[in-house]
Amino acid sequence: MKTPVSVLRLPRGPDPNSRGFDPNSPRFIALCPTTLSSSSSGRADEEEQRLRSDLRERFLRTLLSMTDKQVEFNMHEKVRVRARFGASDIDVLNFQVSDLETPLGVQREALLRSQDVISCSFEL
Amino acid sequence: MLQWSDRSPQQWREFVNQEVCVTARDQQRFEGRVFTVDPVSASVVLVSFLEHECPSVKVILGHAVTDVQILASGTEETERRMKSLFLPDRTQVLSKEELKSRRENLHLWLEKNRVPVTEDGDVLRVASVLTISAPYGTGDCSCANEIILARVQSLVESIPGTEHTSLS
Repeated sequence: MKTPVSVLRLPRGPDPNSRGFDPNSPRFIALCPTTLSSSSSGRADEEEQRLRSDLRERFLRTLLSMTDKQVEFNMHEKVRVRARFGASDIDVLNFQVSDLETPLGVQREALLRSQDVISCSFEL
Repeated sequence: MLQWSDRSPQQWREFVNQEVCVTARDQQRFEGRVFTVDPVSASVVLVSFLEHECPSVKVILGHAVTDVQILASGTEETERRMKSLFLPDRTQVLSKEELKSRRENLHLWLEKNRVPVTEDGDVLRVASVLTISAPYGTGDCSCANEIILARVQSLVESIPGTEHTSLS
């Protein structure tokens, strides 16, 4: 299980023509101003924004404490894999991991799609 | 009730610090105390403190959550305990004398390295562009110039003696 395997497929790189953010990403579509209700008052927006940033900060701290730790990823069809967590992207769509243990061998670097992951667990 | 990922931040906030049981798409159940719900992906972060074991954290991705049931509510004590796991521990409080001796040691060390430094109350000022505030560690230097900052930081890090404990 510990023999490293050669790279089978390189992940798709970032779009070279854009400025970095993707207008088709689920996050942008969800938060795009045209979909926000115009009837909500300014005060309610501020409160919601404050809650969002508070929750997001806690989540970022969770990700921070997850870096470089052995994490077990629980995926579909009861597949469980272990890896060392590297990073997540801003929309939590992909996870970069190292030394991913798979039945084929150990992938030195890998990118996991978050839609494939149900949960991940680690110990502090 | 709306689907989990469609609920508002206010509704998610209601679950923080509560003991819950999360049901995932493949009928799996996860129990623990909610630390947070990510507003971007609706992912739930659960913390469990087990006897004689390290605290374990589970992150259940938002797209997989089907139901969240509250089992028990939390207290200020449980909130504080959870927070201490993730938030940086800045509880090392130094006494005035210790701070003074740290400041003076650093002052002497910088002068020895021919760095123009003056004391201005509780802070050290280097060449009137960089400030080092208590507790005078590597992370306490602030300056607008990157190069000066890097140089002074490496000096502060390399101070000889009992300055090896990291405070950040």
